[in-house]
Amino acid sequence: MKSIQLLLCGLLLLSAWSCDKKNDDLVMPNTGDNFPQVIRFDDEGDGDLEDADEFSFKLVLNDRSDASGENPGGKITPLKEDVTVLFEVKEKEGFNNLASYIKGVKAFYEIDDCTTSEDQGIDLDVIFDAATGKGSVSFPKDVEEVEVVFETDEDFFNDNVLNKDERSITMIVTAVQTSGAEKVTFNNALEFKYEVLDDEGVHGDWELDHEDATEFARFKALFGKVNEDIAGLDADDVDKIEISIEYNEVKVVVELKEMEEIDECDGPEMVNKVIELEADLEDLSTLTDEGEIEFVGEVEQPDGSIKEFVYKGEFKITSAGIELVLKGEYDDEETDKITLLLKK
Amino acid sequence: MKKLILLLSTIVPALIGFSQSAAETALLKGTISDAANRSKLAGASVRISGTTNGTVADLNGQFTLYCPPGNASVVISFLGYRDTTLQVTLQQNQVTTLSVSLSSGVAQLGNVLITGFLQGQAKALTQQKNADNIRNIISSDQIGRFPDPNAAEALQRVPGVNIERDQGEGRYVLIRGLAPQFTNININGEQIPSPEADVRFVALDAIPSDQLASIEVSKTLTPDMDGDAVGGSVNLITRTAQNKFTHINGSLAGGYNNLTGKPNVQGQLQFDQRFGAREKLGVMINGNYYHNHLASDNWEYAPSDNELELRDYELVRTRTGLSSTIDYKFNDRHEIYFRSIYSRFTDREWRRRYVFIPEDDEIEKLMKDRFEAQSIASFNLGGKHNFRKFYLNYEGQYSQGRQNTPYDHEVGFIAGMPSSFDVTGGKYPVLNAAGFNDNSNYEFDEVAYGHTLAKDRNITAKFEIGIPYKTGRSSGTIKFGGKTRFKKKSYTINSEAYGSDGGVPEANGFDEDPIKDNGTILGGRFNMGRPVNVASFNRFFNQNPGLFELDVESKSIDEALESFQAEENVYAAFLMARHQLKKVLLVGGLRYERTNVKYNSKDVVIDPAGDLQEIIPVSGSSNYDFLLPQVQARFELGKMTNLRASAAYSYARPNFSEIIPAQEINREDEVATIGNANLKPTKSLNLDLMLEHYFGNVGIVSAGIFHKKLDDFIYRRVLFNSPYPLTGTPIIPAIDVIQAQNGNDANLTGVELAFQRKLDFLPGFLNKFSLYTNYTYTHSKANLQSRTADPSKPNEIKSLRLPGQATHVGNIALAFESKKLLVRLAANFNGEYLSEIGGEPAEDLYVKSRMQLDLSASYVINPRFRLFAEGLNLTNQPFESYMGSKNVISQREFYSWWMRFGLKFDLHAKK
Repeated sequence: MKSIQLLLCGLLLLSAWSCDKKNDDLVMPNTGDNFPQVIRFDDEGDGDLEDADEFSFKLVLNDRSDASGENPGGKITPLKEDVTVLFEVKEKEGFNNLASYIKGVKAFYEIDDCTTSEDQGIDLDVIFDAATGKGSVSFPKDVEEVEVVFETDEDFFNDNVLNKDERSITMIVTAVQTSGAEKVTFNNALEFKYEVLDDEGVHGDWELDHEDATEFARFKALFGKVNEDIAGLDADDVDKIEISIEYNEVKVVVELKEMEEIDECDGPEMVNKVIELEADLEDLSTLTDEGEIEFVGEVEQPDGSIKEFVYKGEFKITSAGIELVLKGEYDDEETDKITLLLKK
Repeated sequence: MKKLILLLSTIVPALIGFSQSAAETALLKGTISDAANRSKLAGASVRISGTTNGTVADLNGQFTLYCPPGNASVVISFLGYRDTTLQVTLQQNQVTTLSVSLSSGVAQLGNVLITGFLQGQAKALTQQKNADNIRNIISSDQIGRFPDPNAAEALQRVPGVNIERDQGEGRYVLIRGLAPQFTNININGEQIPSPEADVRFVALDAIPSDQLASIEVSKTLTPDMDGDAVGGSVNLITRTAQNKFTHINGSLAGGYNNLTGKPNVQGQLQFDQRFGAREKLGVMINGNYYHNHLASDNWEYAPSDNELELRDYELVRTRTGLSSTIDYKFNDRHEIYFRSIYSRFTDREWRRRYVFIPEDDEIEKLMKDRFEAQSIASFNLGGKHNFRKFYLNYEGQYSQGRQNTPYDHEVGFIAGMPSSFDVTGGKYPVLNAAGFNDNSNYEFDEVAYGHTLAKDRNITAKFEIGIPYKTGRSSGTIKFGGKTRFKKKSYTINSEAYGSDGGVPEANGFDEDPIKDNGTILGGRFNMGRPVNVASFNRFFNQNPGLFELDVESKSIDEALESFQAEENVYAAFLMARHQLKKVLLVGGLRYERTNVKYNSKDVVIDPAGDLQEIIPVSGSSNYDFLLPQVQARFELGKMTNLRASAAYSYARPNFSEIIPAQEINREDEVATIGNANLKPTKSLNLDLMLEHYFGNVGIVSAGIFHKKLDDFIYRRVLFNSPYPLTGTPIIPAIDVIQAQNGNDANLTGVELAFQRKLDFLPGFLNKFSLYTNYTYTHSKANLQSRTADPSKPNEIKSLRLPGQATHVGNIALAFESKKLLVRLAANFNGEYLSEIGGEPAEDLYVKSRMQLDLSASYVINPRFRLFAEGLNLTNQPFESYMGSKNVISQREFYSWWMRFGLKFDLHAKK
C-alpha cells in the first residue's frame, strides 16, 4: 500500500511540476522603467540662407510617462547625471573644407523662456574639431534639451548665382558616455542635416504689393478662405504682406498698421499687429528657378477641433521676383487657381 | 434588510416552537451503493412506506431522514435497480444507520448489468428524477465517457445548453438561449469569481472535467439558491472519499492534432480513502494535467473598412487541476469538511496575420506572442449538523479568480503595396496581392507590449437551518438561512506601444522558417511566407532601444480606460418550505438579496483635435434590493412520470464593463462612451412546465416549455446630442453618448425535448444500441432603441432577438454498448445566433450554426483497466460568422480534427 501512496505522491508532484511550463523562445523586452533614456536630435534637419552666420541642432530626451499623472501625454524626465554626447559630421555636400566654413561652436540650454545657461554664465563643455568633423557636448542633469550652435563664415556660400548642387552637412550622434548610474542611450538612426538655402532660388521672404488692388484682391481670394481676418482685410490697414518660404515651412504674414503692446523678455514692446498663417511644406522644387510647391496647415475651429488646409501649385522665379500660381482647398471648398506676383 | 431580519426573528422562534410541538423524531441515516461494484448510488430515493416522508441520497450515496420513532418500512429506489424494502425500528432521539446495497434490475435489462456508462446515466437520471427542481445532471461516469476535456465541453451535452468556443474548445455556457452573464457558475454550491476583468461569468475551459464528481444544471431556482441566475445555475461538484478502501483511479492519454501535427498528453490521478475504524476521516486528492497543441486557420473580413485578414494561430494550451476534500464525521449527527480546488489554464498563443487594406494601398503583417494564465482557487470550510429537531449547515468560502497576462507582444510591419480581393464566394477569399508574403517589402510600423492582471476575490459565509415537520400524513421541511458575500475585483493594465523614426530592419530581418504546412493555411490556399519571430525582434529591441520611442499618450489612454477597482457586497436571506403531499411535492418561499457596489475608475477626455486632454479619477456606487418569490411543484403522475411546474423570479447583475464609471470622451469623433454605475440588474419572471417519463432500463423522454419575461433588460443606447456629463453642469453642450441602459423589456419562450434510452426493443445485435438525443427551440424578442433612431426620433424602438439566443440547439448520439465495448458517435448542434448588435443592422454580427461530430470508444480489459480512444471535430467544422446578411461572411475559422487515446484505471485495495 505504501508503494502505491509513494507512487501517488510522486505523480502529484510531477503534475505540479508540469504546470510550471517553460516559456520557450521568449525574450522579454526592456520596457517601462527598464527602457533607457534616449537622447536624439530634436529635428531631422534645418536650413538657412547662404549668408547665415550660424546653424544649430538641438539634442533632446524622449518623452516618458509621468508617474504623477499630471501629464498624461508624457513629459521629458531630465537625466539624473551629466552625460557626454559624441557627434560627428557624417557627410557634407557641395564643399570640401569644413574648417573654412565652421569657425566655432558653443552650446547652451534654456533655463526659462527668457534665460539661457549662456546668460547665466554657465559654460557647457562642447568641443568640435573641424578637421575631423567630430565633437562632443555635455548634456547636464536636470536639463531637458541642449542646443549646439556652430558659428559659420557668412561669406563662404554667399554667391549671386542659383546653384544647381546641394550644399549641406549631415551630422549623427555616435555615442553617449555615462557613468552608468542611469540607463541612457541615443538614437543612432536619426541624422541632422543642415541645408544651405539658395537665396537666388525659391527660398526667402517675398513681399506682395498690397497697394496693387489686383494683387491684394488675389491675395485675399486665395488666403481669405482659410483666415477670416485676411478675408476682411482693407488695404489701408496693411503695412506689409510677406510670404516667407523657409526650410520645410511657409509663412504668410500680414503686418498691420495697427500697433499693440506685447510682453517680451526685455519688457513691454509696441509692435505691429500681425495676421499669420503657418504651413508645412509637403513638396517644393529646389535648386531650380521654377517648379512645384505644396504646403499644408491647420486651422483651429471655435470648438477646438482642427481642420486642414492645402495649397498646391507652381512657382517661377523671374527677374521681377516670383510668380506663385496656387490653388487652395479648405473645409471641402476650393479656391480658383490664383497667381500672385511677389518681390524679394 | 431590517424588515427581513425582523421577519425572520419573528418566524424562526415560531417555527422551532412549531417543530417542538410536533411528534418526537428519530434520525435515519445510511449509504446506498451498488451491490456489484460498490459504486455509491447518488440520487437514490429513500421513502418511508405509507407516508410522504422521504429524501434523496447525496452524491456519496448518503442520506439523512427525520422520521417518527417506531417500526418503519424503508423503500429505496434507483433507476434500473430493483426497489429494495427494509424493515427498521427507529428509536426516539436515536440515530439508526443503514448500509444498503442494491442489485440491478436484471430482468428489465435483459441480462445487461448496470455498469459503466449505463450506471453513469442511471445516476444522472435518478438524481434528475428525484430533484426538487428542474435540473439536469452529468455524473462523473458520464463526464469520463464523453471526449470532453473541460467543464464547458461536458455541459454542451445537456438539453438547452449551447457553448461559445475558443480555438475550437468550449469556453462559455449559454443556457436556454441566454447570454453567459445570465447564468451563474458555482463550485460546490458557491459562486466562483470570474478570472476575466470585465465580466462575472466564468470561462469553463479553465476547469478540467476530470476534477468533477458531478455537474448540475438547475433551470429553475429554489429560494436557497443564489437569485442572480436567469438562464440557469451551473454547479460543479468536486469529489469526496467514499469508503475505507484505498481507491486510486486515473488516466493517461496521448493524442494528436491534425492541424499542428503535434501530440497532446493528458493525465489524471485521484486518491481517496476513509480512515479510522468508523471511517470518520475522509481524504480525497485529485490532480490532473492536460497539454495540447492547437492551431487554427482563419480569414476575416471587415465590410465597413473593406479589410481582409488572413490569420494563422498556433497555441500551446495547458490545464492543471488540483482538488481535495477532507471531511470528518464526529458521529452520525455531526460532520465538517474542507474542500479546495485549484485550476490553472494557460494559453501560449502565436498569431500571424496579414491585413489587406486596398483603399490605402497598404498591407500589414503582424505577429503576436501572448501568454495568458487563468486560475481559479476556492477553499470551502463547512459543517453539517443534524440536531434532534433541526439540522444546521454552514460554510465559509474564500475564492479567487485571476487572469494574468504576463506578456502580450505584437510586432507590426507595413508595406505600401496594392491588393484586391473578392469574398463574395463565401467560402474562401480570392486574393490578388502579388508578393504580399515577401518580407523585404515590409517596414517596421509598431510594436506593442502589454501585460494585464485581473483579480476577483470572494469571501462568503452562509448558513441554513432546516426544521422537519409533520402535518397529518404529510410531512415537510421549513428552511431558512442567510448569506453574505464580499467581492473585490480589479483590473490593472500595462500597455506600451513603440514606434520608430527609422533604423529598424525590414521584416525579413526577423523572420524564421514556417511553423506548419510550409507556411500555408486554409488547405494550402494561402502562403503566409516566413513568419516574424517575436523573440528575435525583442532581442533587437533590447539591443537598440535608442531606435524606439514610446507612444506615451496611447499608454496613458489604454491603461486608464479599462482599469478599475470594484467592491460588491451581497447580503441575502431566505425562507422556504418543502412540503410533500401525497403525490405532490411543493417547494416555495422567498429570497431577499441586497447588493452594495462601489467602483473606482478613470475618465479619459480626448480634446477636439484628437489629443489626450485629461485623465480624471472618478468613482461610482449603487445599491439595489430584490425580493424573489419562488415556487415549484412536482406532481408524481406515476412511479416513473413527473409533471413539474415552476414560477420564480430571478435577476442578472450587469457586467462590470457596463457598470464601472469609466468613460472615454472623444470630442474629435463627438462620441462619449461612459459606464453606468446606476445600471439596474435585469429582473426576470421564469415560468416552467415539464413532463418527464423515465424508463426502467435507464432512459428518459421529456418535454418542457419555458417562458421568461425580462424587465430592465440591459442594452447599449445612444443618447444623441446629449450634454456631458449627463447630470450636473455640462462641460460639453452636445455629444453622442453611448451607455448601457435599462428600460426595455424582452421575452424568451422555448420548448425543450429529450429522449434517451437503450434500444432493447430492437431485435438481436441492434438491442445493444442506445440513443441519446435532445433538442431545444427558443424564440426571443427584445425591444431596443432602433438603429435608425436619430436626434429627431431618439426613442424609436425596434424588436430584435436576444444576443446569444440560438433558435435551435440539440444533441444526438448513438452508442453501442456490449459487456466490454462501448462505441459512441455524438453530434452536437448549435444553431445560428446574434452575437453582437452593431451600430446598424448591416453591422450585426451573427454566428452561423455549427454541428460537431465526435467519436469515442472504450474497451474494458477488466474491472480495473479500460482503454479508450476519442476523435473530435471529425468533419472539420469551421466557426463561421456573418455581418448583417448571410452573403457577407465575416469570419471562417478552421481547427481540423484532433484525437486522443489512453488508459483509464480504477484500483481498489483492501486496507
